[in-house]
Amino acid sequence: MLDRPLAPPPVEVIVAVTQALHREARLLDNEDFEGWLAMLGKDVSYRLELKSRRFRADRSPPLPFGPGVIFNEDLGRLKMRVDRLKSGFVWAEDPPNYIRRAVSNVEVLATQPDNEVRVHSVLVMHRNRIDGTTRLLTAGRTDLWRSEGGAWLLTAREIVLDHSVLPDSNLNAFF
Amino acid sequence: MRFERIGREPDYSRYMDLKEGWLDRRIFSDADIYEEELYRIFARSWLFVAHESQIPSSGDFLTTHMGEDAVIVARQPDGSIRVMLNSCPHRGNKVCFADAGNTRRFVCNYHGWAFDTAGDLKGMHEEYCYDAGDIDFKNHGLKNVAKVGNYKGLVFATFNSDAPSLEAWLGDFRWYLDMILDNEEGGTEFIGGCIKSVISANWKFGVENFIGDAYHAGWTHDSGTRSMNNGQPFPPIDMDNSYHASVNGHGWEFGTEGVGDLFLLGRPKVMDYYNKIRPKMEERLGEMRSKIFGSVASASIFPNVSFLPGISTFRQWQPKGPMQFELKTWVIVNKNMPDDIKEEVTKGVMQTFGPGGTFEMDDGENWENCTTVNRGVVTRHERLHYRCGIGRQIEHDTLPGIVYRGQYNDANQRGFYQRWLDMMTHDEFGKMPARPEPQLGNVAETRDLPGLFAL
Ligand code: FES
Ligand SMILES: [Fe+2]
Repeated sequence: MLDRPLAPPPVEVIVAVTQALHREARLLDNEDFEGWLAMLGKDVSYRLELKSRRFRADRSPPLPFGPGVIFNEDLGRLKMRVDRLKSGFVWAEDPPNYIRRAVSNVEVLATQPDNEVRVHSVLVMHRNRIDGTTRLLTAGRTDLWRSEGGAWLLTAREIVLDHSVLPDSNLNAFF
Repeated sequence: MRFERIGREPDYSRYMDLKEGWLDRRIFSDADIYEEELYRIFARSWLFVAHESQIPSSGDFLTTHMGEDAVIVARQPDGSIRVMLNSCPHRGNKVCFADAGNTRRFVCNYHGWAFDTAGDLKGMHEEYCYDAGDIDFKNHGLKNVAKVGNYKGLVFATFNSDAPSLEAWLGDFRWYLDMILDNEEGGTEFIGGCIKSVISANWKFGVENFIGDAYHAGWTHDSGTRSMNNGQPFPPIDMDNSYHASVNGHGWEFGTEGVGDLFLLGRPKVMDYYNKIRPKMEERLGEMRSKIFGSVASASIFPNVSFLPGISTFRQWQPKGPMQFELKTWVIVNKNMPDDIKEEVTKGVMQTFGPGGTFEMDDGENWENCTTVNRGVVTRHERLHYRCGIGRQIEHDTLPGIVYRGQYNDANQRGFYQRWLDMMTHDEFGKMPARPEPQLGNVAETRDLPGLFAL
């Protein structure tokens, strides 16, 4: 817990981190997965928790093992996903799907330690699948980015998907 | 209860010849056939609605569907479970929009009619607008289903007052079900939430994939298997010691090596756990079942529930029109597992068979395109091939059901469509043939029966 509000990060930091988010989206859209992995910290955590629709006045206790997750990945698991995508055996991605990501509502906030920032953003993902069908997914993201050796690395991402029923048969894409 | 549909009386037997081994594609795409399925299959079968662990306390509820009928499943103060239509008897509005929770009352958004968790009408907004005699509270509750049953934690319901008991409906298939529901003292529970996704495919493609289609795994899931297995492909199947078993449209396909599915889960601690309890499992279920559990296997309960024993994904294919279903998935674990093993299982399931899982991601599009291609009017009149292994039926001295040798087989799929045809054809349950005749007898507890030879 911080006892006093932190001053906003310098403009250069805000610009650099925002650019990193945009660059990340472009690398993923272009299937440059190695380039994307290079933007991740060694200790990265990448999570998407399940939600369930409850009444506001719901009286039930939280589930003993939490709500469940769709993604709870570390760097090794993310590399495994990338290996799978690059294996040449993913029939559902051949010919390639078209994916376009739009990142917006970026807020870069100071945090501790000094070389890290907390980042809120919104991701809109447009997928055009091999059979021509199109799906639109939106998600909110809360990240931690760390400045390391002159580059900003993603070290934590909590994804909140805005769909109580996934409008797609898989989530074979990075958010 | 009988739900008559006026007008059509087609001969469904012309949509398949299971002795020859083919199906007509229209059963996967035709809107009239789909409507008829809702009447004849979903309004008449026992349908899975919940695991009892999802609603442990009085007032706990969840919402789901039986066919396309929205229902509420609620735990009562006396511990029993009620299942009722999620639709207000006043103007029909949907009453409960939450996925799950705990409540004392369900109050309709439209005019404020209020129901208790048994579905009884308890009051309404501005009650004075009704004069004496306008409304009979007793007969204006949420309509309860005809029967609710519980098999070792799985709660089923049916709209059909003529349905046989749940035990008879599951029949000898209970011998197989006990491998996932009763392989350890204490039974099972669902942990974590429910993942829902919508897939533009006919519901039967999901069921038939899990009931018998081991064949697709090595090809469809090649990338996933290799990425989890140091680049190695799916190992070849032992066709001599693996089987299909079908009981009244339910089916289980399995090897007997004991480790395949546990390996694919990708969590070594879970493998260790089962190896540790396996001697006890053998005492409990007999040698054969302790060898089957954990093997490469998949199963479905007629009409629309599937699971992978060993990988622990449990799922339901909810019909949403001829070319769409909603897939609901849960994680099922043994209640007496230590917490860290439960967490390992959950991780493994999400990493393999969650919507972002290394295996699950490959399946959906196949089913979608098997379905949507039938928009073509010429295409939809073509037959599909279901003849694999048609000559491999055997009599096995331990395994109940209609048994075929060799895990790569269409036998359970043929058994499923045979039951589909029986239900689409026969008006009365009593007239429907048993497939096969019950072999284990009318026993209450199939866990203690090692298999057929013991009888
Ligand atoms: S429709 Fe439910 S109270 Fe009127
Ligand atoms: Fe599959």
